[in-house]
Amino acid sequence: MKRVFSQCIKEIAQFRRDRLTLALAFLLPFLTLLIFGFAIRLESKDIPLIVQDFDRTNLSSSYIERLYATNQFVPQQWSGGNPVRDAIDKGIAKVAVVIPPQFSRDIQAGRNTSVQALIDATDVNNARVIRGSIERVTNFFMQDQGLIPDTSIITPQIRLWFNPGRLESLYIVPGTYGVVLWIFPSLLTAIAMVREKEKGTILQVYASSISATELLLGKGLAYLLIAIAEALIVMGLGSIIFHVGVITNPMTLLLGTLLFLMDSVSFGLLVGVRISNQNSAVQIVSLVGFITSLLLSGFIYPLSNIPFPLSLTPNLFPSRYYIDITRDAFVRGTGWTGVWFDLLMLAVLGFVFFNVARRLLSRMQISQ
Amino acid sequence: MKYIWRLFDSPFWSLVRKEINQILRNRQLIVLLIVPPTVQLLLYGFALNPDVHNLRLGVIDYANISASRELVSAMTSNHTFNLESIPTSEKDLSRQVEEGKLDVGVIIPPDFPRQLANKSAEIQVFIDGVNANTAGIAANYVNQIIQQYNLTFVQNQVSTPVSTEVIFLYNPGLTSSWFFVPGVMGLVLTLIGTLVSAVTVVREKDTGTLEQLLMTPSTNWEILLAKIVPLAFLLMGDVLLALTLGTIVFSLPFRGSFLLFLALSSMYVFVGISLGIMLATICGSQQQVLLTSFFINLPMIQTSGAISPIEAMPPLFQFLSLFNPLRHYITIVRGILLKGVGLDVLWLNVLALLGFAVVLLTISVQKFRSQLS
Repeated sequence: MKRVFSQCIKEIAQFRRDRLTLALAFLLPFLTLLIFGFAIRLESKDIPLIVQDFDRTNLSSSYIERLYATNQFVPQQWSGGNPVRDAIDKGIAKVAVVIPPQFSRDIQAGRNTSVQALIDATDVNNARVIRGSIERVTNFFMQDQGLIPDTSIITPQIRLWFNPGRLESLYIVPGTYGVVLWIFPSLLTAIAMVREKEKGTILQVYASSISATELLLGKGLAYLLIAIAEALIVMGLGSIIFHVGVITNPMTLLLGTLLFLMDSVSFGLLVGVRISNQNSAVQIVSLVGFITSLLLSGFIYPLSNIPFPLSLTPNLFPSRYYIDITRDAFVRGTGWTGVWFDLLMLAVLGFVFFNVARRLLSRMQISQ
Repeated sequence: MKYIWRLFDSPFWSLVRKEINQILRNRQLIVLLIVPPTVQLLLYGFALNPDVHNLRLGVIDYANISASRELVSAMTSNHTFNLESIPTSEKDLSRQVEEGKLDVGVIIPPDFPRQLANKSAEIQVFIDGVNANTAGIAANYVNQIIQQYNLTFVQNQVSTPVSTEVIFLYNPGLTSSWFFVPGVMGLVLTLIGTLVSAVTVVREKDTGTLEQLLMTPSTNWEILLAKIVPLAFLLMGDVLLALTLGTIVFSLPFRGSFLLFLALSSMYVFVGISLGIMLATICGSQQQVLLTSFFINLPMIQTSGAISPIEAMPPLFQFLSLFNPLRHYITIVRGILLKGVGLDVLWLNVLALLGFAVVLLTISVQKFRSQLS
């Protein structure tokens, strides 16, 4: 036990001496939090819209009024002569609404007519949002003008739980903790482990009486302490900057964070033991880290949208479980009942990562 | 002819050959150029998907009459919502939504038949709002489905007098990978380009062979150019690799001019290489390069619109993204591939990209040269 602590103390002393690593450890997580927290938003606001009104009657202008009443669109100027598609090609507008010349006459004569909406579908998600709003506008318009009998026999009372104002930050910021606290602690740990090998000091360790487990525990403990400091800074500043606070019993978050940081450090140890130079270690940790926490964790889009064989992989990495825990702690607030399985999985994965690293290291110790 | 022979004879040419040999011998570099781009392209294309479908629905139908059952089947008919569970009580339903086991909960009240007879019935719908974006789209779908269902009560009202004819330009099938793949092409070029060029320059410093190069009769320009040219070709190989993967795996369309695409991609490749050389001149060792590249790459990628659309960012970030060469490159790639537009539309982005390429290349060359002398 004493050897574990002295290894840990040595490691922290070494860590403090390296300015760049120190900056990497605290500045980079914070920078990542800021950029992800502010810049990742899915829904466009103030969508540029062009209206081509070939009808120019009271009816058509009341339709247009309804369109702007949604507060989602910003009008753009476009000279009527050119085909309106050019404007969308040029990116001047994301959507063009064309009201046909016979619009009001058709309506008054009881004939069916249609409003055309050309939507820039480069960004699939917002194309869907825009379609929804315009279809809703058409419906409101018809009800308003008494064109359809009062069909609202059944009205849904829709309530959005947890996030009635549909704030995207409530979704993104807790997820960002799962990205930042997965990548950086494992990166630092892996670098420290590989450096020992590159400098050849690992041989001294092999020659000493310290066992593989003790070495890994010592290093792991040191970087766990550093990771805890990172977590405190990132979550503390995150809560202040983004106004996202814990709304439930904080014990699940504390325990979950501790387990998750252990997973992260163990994963760093695992890569560090396996890889022999710093370049590859950084490459592998950052590639695997970003892919598992950004793409395979439900951070941006729901996990259920990942197609079948690929959809199994998120289960093998801790990010998805931890993001469940942070979203619960910051947004849902169900506490233990909602996240016990995630906590269990974090513990299991940490155990697996650490043991694989231990096995690999003891095998190497014998072979060298 | 004589001129061409002179070129092949020149020290520049032998420098280029040396660089090419060095690259080909470096197995790790070749792996780096092929594996991460392929993995990233495939994973981004498959794993990022904003579709709103197969939402898990829980229904408590207290009324249990034919109208209420029809309503539920109307909701589940097109796989936007899947009936996942029929909870026993309201408490059970709300618990399942709270714990994230259901996305949507519907309660049809016991006096629904009476309300229906009075032509004003209300049903309760809860939607898990944690994911604000999905929840908004789901709420819209619920409204639409119920409105459609309402119409079936009114005789002879199959079609509405005014309909919305929606035309999705560029991506009529709303295939989500078409948005992400061009973004990832830019992302991969940035990551690999900066890294590879920085590492090749720094390695020379690390191993001390840079001094030996300086002793040769070549000028500084030649040394640097000999480094850049082979890398640019390799990175263009990555561009083609990404494009091929995109077309074959994700059936990404290519609607614009291929030549323009190649020209502008090579321009971006130079941006990436210059960034790498700048990093290399600032940093002392390979490890420092790798770590400081995080500080440049992360913000560049996140504000480029590769993953989340620029239009959705707060105004300050939208403004900052104008100073991001990757943003312009991704706009160009999406423009050429998906929209099929040319220079007449993209000229502003092209100018910006050209500006970045020239400025960054000049700065990096200057820095490199001043370091040599």
